[in-house]
Amino acid sequence: MDKLKENQAAYYPGCALLTIDRAYNNSSKLVSKKMGIELVEIPDYNCCGIGEMKSKGAASMYMPLRNMMLAKNRLGSKNLVMACSVCYHEFSRSIARVKENQNELSAVNEIFKEAGEFNEEFIPDGEARHILEFLYNEKGVEEVKKNVVKPLKGLKVAPYYGCLYSRPSMYTFTDKKPKMDNSERPRFMHEFLEALGAETVFYGNEVQCCGGRNVVQDEETSFALCSQTISKAKKAGADVIALICPKCAGALDVNQPKIVEKFGKDSELPIVYLTQLMALAFGFSKKEAEFGDMISEPLKVLNEKGF
Amino acid sequence: MALEKHDKDKENSGGGRPVAEKGEHIVARHLIEDDNIKEEKNLVIDGVDVSGRWNTFIISRVDSDFDRSFFEEIKKTVAGSRINRCWQCGMCTASCTVTPLYRRFNPRAFIYMMQLGNLKELKKYIDVAWRCVGCYKCSQRCPKQVNPAEMMEALALVIKKYFPEEVKTKLKLDEEVKKIYEDMIIGHGRLDLAKLHTSAMQKSGRTKELLGKIERDTIFKMAKDGRAFSILRLGKPHNWSRSKEAIENYLRKLNTIENGEAGV
Repeated sequence: MDKLKENQAAYYPGCALLTIDRAYNNSSKLVSKKMGIELVEIPDYNCCGIGEMKSKGAASMYMPLRNMMLAKNRLGSKNLVMACSVCYHEFSRSIARVKENQNELSAVNEIFKEAGEFNEEFIPDGEARHILEFLYNEKGVEEVKKNVVKPLKGLKVAPYYGCLYSRPSMYTFTDKKPKMDNSERPRFMHEFLEALGAETVFYGNEVQCCGGRNVVQDEETSFALCSQTISKAKKAGADVIALICPKCAGALDVNQPKIVEKFGKDSELPIVYLTQLMALAFGFSKKEAEFGDMISEPLKVLNEKGF
Repeated sequence: MALEKHDKDKENSGGGRPVAEKGEHIVARHLIEDDNIKEEKNLVIDGVDVSGRWNTFIISRVDSDFDRSFFEEIKKTVAGSRINRCWQCGMCTASCTVTPLYRRFNPRAFIYMMQLGNLKELKKYIDVAWRCVGCYKCSQRCPKQVNPAEMMEALALVIKKYFPEEVKTKLKLDEEVKKIYEDMIIGHGRLDLAKLHTSAMQKSGRTKELLGKIERDTIFKMAKDGRAFSILRLGKPHNWSRSKEAIENYLRKLNTIENGEAGV
């Protein structure tokens, strides 16, 4: 495979984005391309472990780091961009840990050696980048403003960062260079949305958890947390909630009919991805941005508002 | 598992009371049994009458059966490697997402019990011990970078090792779902979300719900727009079997409690 060109970046899609959350995947690619960066998928990727491997020692770090190796080996890129916050967390966790802990690094390299896929040892010199802060830092808000052809005037959006985009800073280094977002009160999504012409609302649950991790084993916790987030956003006057994580979508969007059934109409609000809104404002059609994929039917409100 | 009602919880927590109105979910509770607390009516210490003021005491006791090997066991794991740093400030519990929902879920106390090797006390909390949602608020705010979020993973390992019977009954679903995840991640290298959902529903005996209106609508929608079929095309990474073998080998060779059940 060819090495990357200057305007290309190595991209890790992840399992959810290639299947049921394709709307996020496709709109991320559309938006990045429009802003001048082409996302190139690493070939042959494997699952990051989605937090279920943490009790398995260094094996939990091998999962994401194998992908870092792929990016370096096949695409010649030290860094890897991803859109899923859970993947982003797993990658930054592994990198931060092996950087700090020589024992863990050698344990991971032991697994690499045994698998025999790569001829070299893993060196933690790259970084995991979340698409939000990546676009913000590489291209900036001005680039977003420049590309807007259809401003989202009159659309009230509740930005929802979720947990793992900004936390914990001991892994993600959100406050440090080159990311420079605030790990307790992130603001990049706010700035992007405002650049699109939309209005952001303050509702207090921006960095709350959706309970997505236990959504399979312990629905009720997740439902309770999601219902709180949605109803707060609705009370603050939001038309839609904007997400940057497919796991949040699983909890807030896919499960929304069940949440409404349990907690009533207060917990009903259309859910979209940030990149979908960006694609819409950049002049792509609603079909191209795949709003129809969302279970919570954002198309209704978007049609009403005349976008 | 149903969310705990406040009243029921009160009974279980040994008379816990909210610390303040604002932090209603933060419950003052100590690890000392009520029987061990003594209130003195008239008390003179070193010639100073302290009646009515400092009159509540803990009956002096000797906790000698600390099991240091237990502490070392946790310290050796990747998730629990920072257990020695905790100085019990309680920031983790104060910032916890789960504590307001399950009032007996108290990361600070769990870490304390793990530090002491107090299995008897830990056993009382098995039913809530795995409720952590992994939001990492605690790790973000911990002043000593103990990483309590991952400490809860270590706690799960401890419980798995010392209370296998309880895990089979009280944490059956959690254990099974974790097994599905691990088999899929290690076995196939990629995650099939549809299969995960259906097998988890099956394990929890809710297959019927899959035929209910909400589930049916979602499945129909995803079949119609083609997403259901993209899941079938997910596949495996090339040569994943080599990685799989290497991971399994690594887990087999581990001499920590992480080896408990290698998921193979």
